[in-house]
Amino acid sequence: MAASNAIDPIHQFEVHPLFSHEMSQVSFTNASLFMVIVSLAVTALMVMGTSRSSLVPSRIQAAAEMSYEFVAQTVRGTMGNDGMRFFPLVFSLFMFVVFSNMIGLIPYTFTVTSQIVVTFAFAALVIGTVLLYGIARHGMHFLHLFVPSGVPALLLPFIVMIEIISFLSRPISLSVRLFANMLAGHITLKVFGGFVSMMLATGGAAVALAPLPLAAIVMLTAFELLVAVLQAYVFAILTCVYLNDAIHPGH
Amino acid sequence: MTEPDKGEEERELKARLERLSSALDSKRSDSEGSQDKVGSDVVRTGQAMSLGFRVLAEFVSGVAVGSLIGWQLDIWMGTEPFGLIVFLFLGTIAGFWNVYRIAMRTTSR
Repeated sequence: MAASNAIDPIHQFEVHPLFSHEMSQVSFTNASLFMVIVSLAVTALMVMGTSRSSLVPSRIQAAAEMSYEFVAQTVRGTMGNDGMRFFPLVFSLFMFVVFSNMIGLIPYTFTVTSQIVVTFAFAALVIGTVLLYGIARHGMHFLHLFVPSGVPALLLPFIVMIEIISFLSRPISLSVRLFANMLAGHITLKVFGGFVSMMLATGGAAVALAPLPLAAIVMLTAFELLVAVLQAYVFAILTCVYLNDAIHPGH
Repeated sequence: MTEPDKGEEERELKARLERLSSALDSKRSDSEGSQDKVGSDVVRTGQAMSLGFRVLAEFVSGVAVGSLIGWQLDIWMGTEPFGLIVFLFLGTIAGFWNVYRIAMRTTSR
């Protein structure tokens, strides 16, 4: 933290190495530490939730089963039963995103999904899967995705260009949305927290008003919880929508 | 203890149980109703905000991708301003097209 009493809301997003090897560029940063923590948390939930399955589920079992049911419903709803082959991908992405969003809300933690590198890597993975699977399954027919039917020949090159740009914009919008939501939420919380300490430091009438931003933080935290889950859901459902193009192109 | 006494006790117990369960039911539906109302208000705001964010991201990314392609084509082919102009135009249309598709999907559902 900076020495002055001004609070730097960006400081929480800094990536710094925890251990590094002198000879190589590779280092284990706080971001990598939290990626490990998130993966371990997801694995722990699923392993503990499924190891002792009873008819009357325990809390952990209920949580594991509900998350499975929820994602499976989303996948079936958007892609049909054929789409269940992508269930492992969508489920892993959803669980990783929802856990890193939730763990990031705990004070002094690092939010992995507030780094555009991470979210863009996910989006690139999704779009890469769409392209590879679409071409492997449909061959050249997959390219009909970019050629809508019933368009006059004069307009066709124009429309194809627009469709290609629209397709290329998908990974960007997918990654920027998640990243921007997490970044904006955390900065807002930090700024309001800064208001409290600054008002207390000013003294006088400001001290009496200091509880107001504190109350706002409580409300914002509740809202951030909603955003954390909702953005993970939006990420999962858009992944399904894009993968659906790879399974059923040309409509 | 006599037989009719036991029957009496049982009936009383049954009546008490019924009263309790009906009271519980009314209380539960009360609290559920109020919770649902508050919860759905927040959820609806959140969903509307996320839809708004989606529209914004789709539109901006269309324009960004278009201008990026145009800028890079200009560098490769040396057609200084024209690639950027044409592809910025195409990207803007692609952005509108993305937004149009979201709007069609939400109204058809």
